[in-house]
Amino acid sequence: MAPRLNSRAAVAVLLLAMVASLLPAARGIWLSIPSSGTKCVSEEIHSNVVVLADYYVINEEKPEHVPKVSSRVTSPYGTDLHHQENATHGQFAFTTSEAGNYMACFWLDEHQEHVANVSLGLEWKTGIAAKDWDSVAKKEKIEGVELDLKRLEASVESIHQNLIYLKEREAEMREVSEQTNGRVAWFSIMALSVCIAVATFQVWYLTRYFQKKKLI
Amino acid sequence: MEMKQIYVLAALWLSFVGRISSLSITVNDVECVYEYVFYEGDAISGNFVVVDHDIFWGSDHPGIDFTVSSPGGNVVHNIKGTSGDKFELKAPRSGMYKFCFHNPYSTPETVSFYIHVGHIPNEHDVAKDEHLDPINVKIAELREALESVTAEQKYLRARDNRHRHTNESTRKRVIGYTVGEYLLLAAVSSLQVLYIRRLFSKSVAYNRV
Repeated sequence: MAPRLNSRAAVAVLLLAMVASLLPAARGIWLSIPSSGTKCVSEEIHSNVVVLADYYVINEEKPEHVPKVSSRVTSPYGTDLHHQENATHGQFAFTTSEAGNYMACFWLDEHQEHVANVSLGLEWKTGIAAKDWDSVAKKEKIEGVELDLKRLEASVESIHQNLIYLKEREAEMREVSEQTNGRVAWFSIMALSVCIAVATFQVWYLTRYFQKKKLI
Repeated sequence: MEMKQIYVLAALWLSFVGRISSLSITVNDVECVYEYVFYEGDAISGNFVVVDHDIFWGSDHPGIDFTVSSPGGNVVHNIKGTSGDKFELKAPRSGMYKFCFHNPYSTPETVSFYIHVGHIPNEHDVAKDEHLDPINVKIAELREALESVTAEQKYLRARDNRHRHTNESTRKRVIGYTVGEYLLLAAVSSLQVLYIRRLFSKSVAYNRV
């Protein structure tokens, strides 16, 4: 069900989002948390990537009464990277040590009245988007247009890195495909020879058996 | 706080628009993601790919449906029964947009999606706000162009993942089914031999055969 935001709530959401984001501002998506069960989002991240996330809870119907959610972030091997109970907002940051599927789950706490329209705003940034541009601006004393252009340069660099990564993945996959192609041909020929070998064995064995039984 | 001050604050704040990474979500029946569009006329773009899991038969994936609803409730964009697609639309008004995935089948599917809302300040904003230069407009255009390249790359990466999954599955099937075939062939032929032996054994009168 679409949350109906009137102008007052829209202003409240806007101010809350602006105040809550201490990092260079980013847009985030909104999820609706079901009253029972968990809502999980995941992403495939490779190793050595910085992940920054920020979440906050909003109740559509009664903005004053904000329900509390618990969150848990798990690494691909199952270890908990972040676990927090009973919070209306929170943030977590980590650097990935292995490549794989990282999952963040949110659920409503049981010890509170059931609320219907709970929305959770999540800002999830990885890699280049998680870079702290404020500190870079302060350190190198640049601002305005120069800072914007520096961000664009970093963005182009990350596009380049992504292209190289895609190229490597495609090369690996092409090798697997060609190997499978060779195997299909080889195994089919082997199936034919196994068939012939087995038939020859049958005929030889039965001939020997009947000769022993003095039937032929 | 009047709307004009909010507008300026939002514009300044949005001048550092960050990116959201491509997230995956598991769709059992209907799963919706919301995103707030601040300005009317913003370009909403994105893509989604259904992550393949082991389908036994079926040369094609059953696919999922994707709808975009505006804050007013009407459906702005609709894609039915695909395993992944890109979309691009212009927001008719500002507000909270709803992006929904609908899975018509009972098996849960995992969808990897990326949504980006891009704003380019136009001449009208430049005239209204003295903090905005024409160069800011050009930089915003550049940023949006780079965003579209990044979005395309995320889509390619998700499709590559899906393709890789299919390839791995094919490789395992080739090896598994072939070895199984050989063993079955050997077993069936030895059963044949044993049966024929039984037919000629002393307990059964072999003159009958």
